[in-house]
Amino acid sequence: MHIFGFAMGLLAILSLYIFVISAVHNPEISNLPYYTFRSLLRISATYLISLVTGLFFGLLAATTKTGSMILVPLFDVLQSIPILGYFPAAIIFFISAFQGAEIGLELAAMLLLYTSMEWAIFFGVVGAVKNIPTNIVEAAKSFDIKGYGYIRHVVLPAIVPALISGSTLAWGDGWFFMIAAEYITYGGKNYSLPGLGSYLAKAAYEYGDTNLAIVLLIIITVLVVYINFLTWHRLTERAGSGTYKPIFRTDWPKGLAFSGIRRFSHMHHIPRIHLSFGFRHTILSTSRRRIYSRIEKGMAVVTVIALIFLVVMVAKPGIPSLDEIKGSLLIPEMANLPFYTACTLTRLTIAYLISLGIALSMGILAAEKKGFALIFYPIYDIGQSVPILALFPILFVSLSQIFGGSLGLEITSLTMLVADMIWYLFLNIVTAVKTIPDEIREVSQLIGMKGLQRVRHIVLPAILPAVVTGSILSWATGWNTVIFSEYMPYGTKVLWLPGLGSFLDKAALQEGNTILLGFLLLIMTALVIAVDRLIWRRLLRKAERYAGEAM
Amino acid sequence: MKVLEVRNLSKVFPGERSIVALDDVSFEIGNDEFLCIVGPSGCGKSTLLRMVAGIESANGGEILFHEKPISGPNEKITMIFQHFGLLPWKTALENVRLPLEVHGIPKEGAMKIALEYLGKVGLGDFMDTYPHDLSGGMKQRVGIARALAMKPEILLMDEPFSSLDELTASTLRREVLRIWADPNLPTDTFLMVSHNVSEAVFMADRVLVMSPRPGRVVEDVKVDIPRPRVEHARDPKFFDTVEYIIQVIEKACGGKLPGCEVNDGIG
Repeated sequence: MHIFGFAMGLLAILSLYIFVISAVHNPEISNLPYYTFRSLLRISATYLISLVTGLFFGLLAATTKTGSMILVPLFDVLQSIPILGYFPAAIIFFISAFQGAEIGLELAAMLLLYTSMEWAIFFGVVGAVKNIPTNIVEAAKSFDIKGYGYIRHVVLPAIVPALISGSTLAWGDGWFFMIAAEYITYGGKNYSLPGLGSYLAKAAYEYGDTNLAIVLLIIITVLVVYINFLTWHRLTERAGSGTYKPIFRTDWPKGLAFSGIRRFSHMHHIPRIHLSFGFRHTILSTSRRRIYSRIEKGMAVVTVIALIFLVVMVAKPGIPSLDEIKGSLLIPEMANLPFYTACTLTRLTIAYLISLGIALSMGILAAEKKGFALIFYPIYDIGQSVPILALFPILFVSLSQIFGGSLGLEITSLTMLVADMIWYLFLNIVTAVKTIPDEIREVSQLIGMKGLQRVRHIVLPAILPAVVTGSILSWATGWNTVIFSEYMPYGTKVLWLPGLGSFLDKAALQEGNTILLGFLLLIMTALVIAVDRLIWRRLLRKAERYAGEAM
Repeated sequence: MKVLEVRNLSKVFPGERSIVALDDVSFEIGNDEFLCIVGPSGCGKSTLLRMVAGIESANGGEILFHEKPISGPNEKITMIFQHFGLLPWKTALENVRLPLEVHGIPKEGAMKIALEYLGKVGLGDFMDTYPHDLSGGMKQRVGIARALAMKPEILLMDEPFSSLDELTASTLRREVLRIWADPNLPTDTFLMVSHNVSEAVFMADRVLVMSPRPGRVVEDVKVDIPRPRVEHARDPKFFDTVEYIIQVIEKACGGKLPGCEVNDGIG
């Protein structure tokens, strides 16, 4: 069955390629297989590095006290800084270090991909080791299993599911950031690495060929879905139910399993995603809820400062003088900082509210009518597989023709943010709806609650923790996307929207002002932490009041 | 006087391999009666209870409540659950209040009734506590208060003591019997589902024994032990009745016990 699916998929992809190459008129179209190969290689190589380092550091952090004290807060801080914020710094460093040679760009791209992939694997490993049930740890102790034997027979089997779900996410994130990593403008010049992402960007901006861009987007999506089938979904299945403790049951009709193609398209994919996502839900919520000691907090602060110092240092060796710092920071545009901050916050808030509104109504629909839940998972599944950043050029090119440059970019930016932020809310909410215990549904039936009463007394409170978790994740990814979506290198021109993200991009990519870049990174990190502290942590605590219940 | 009559009830769960959960089940319960249904796991006894509660539909036959067929939830029939069924986001008081308010009792009145019933189950001091911070026994007391506050005629109980530790369960059993005997409470007819035979003999007037799937009523055993049963729980008659019911279940399972989880722990 698997070989059949594999062969069918490969055949379909091959014919898609042959068809596209013969039907599309574009000077670079014959390079499509090569671009695919390069993108695949880039993402796979980075993934392997992430896997090895994630496993190593994860085991170190989970099994040793010092490791845990240093690594966990360090990685937590690193993951909460918007990844794309590092990127300009990495570009500056690698381009100047290799004098613009392709290897420098390649390393910069891989660093960006790495910073998007590493966290899911690391925290997956740490979470899984910490979650090994006490009775198993005690059983191992009582049979005197320790050292290598303990790692081999207890730890490794326990982290396999986390590695697989972490890998699924890392792999997805890699494709997500591919286009940002492969198509770069720096100092008024375009740098691009051979790959599917840069080809898509070029198709949209340089050739002005939206159709080609859409074709490429479809190709990328098909590839992502196909590779997911072949790897993660199969592995998840093999990891077996014994090791998994899914957060919620999957009750998909078993009858689908017996016809080849249908099995391929339904059985593997859809239910498995829930498992991995349910799992992520736990990892992230436990890592988020963890309370750090004073030493760990100190460590984290030192890390951030060191990191930003490093960013400033790499491009301009030597400690900058006070005058230099003054000169870099006291530029006229600095007066706009409060305005920019307000713009970005407003943009994020609007996108968040739209996402929340849609996700909530879908969640309520799914709770009230069981049939809807069955429709929503496939929607999620396909939507999730589209690398959303790749949608950006296509959307922008078509919208700017209708609304003109700035308004077009504003709408594109908001759409991108919604498209990016909604999935975390959506899946967390729909998942929570599914996990409402039968008894509680029965109670509401027995009491004779009507639609609105049920929504108010049962559905909304039941999904509140999921809304909070989903919100935290969606804001984290939103901060990231905002850096990408406010700044648009459009052929040789650059279009930008007033905002923190574009300010950061301009400082780094147009002016090479690393001191300002470091300063803006600090501001952004402070904002991320402030929003987290002031809003989400409070809500989490509120939700925790009943979280221990059989929910 | 009969309060509830179940007539030729059957239930099929459709699916690839459809499951016949209940097949031609008939019995009746009189006013003031305490009836217990026992049977092996999966014999459809919980399904039967849910059909009486009006939250599960029948494929054949009917259930009559005061001669009228049941077609949906009825405020005169309430239920307590194995896992308590409390809303974790509501305090003890709010949990008891909610059904009252849904049925249109104004907030003030609902509050008064809820407090009164929480007091009756000994939880007056815990009205503002969330279920998370209550012990299992206390949670079930809230469940009982919530069910009784509606002043139902029939109280349904779905294995109400099986997720509690034995000491707590034993205390609560006596309390439920006290409530059943209380002339000041309008709730006089109790229908309980259990897989604990001693518990059934300890509490019920009649024990209905069901066969494994498809569930049928195999025997209707009248428990002829005087009350209060606490004083007679060591009588030979008590043990004989328990033993007899276990034999009936074993026979219904075809003489083999595997797959027929029969709990004969002391109630």
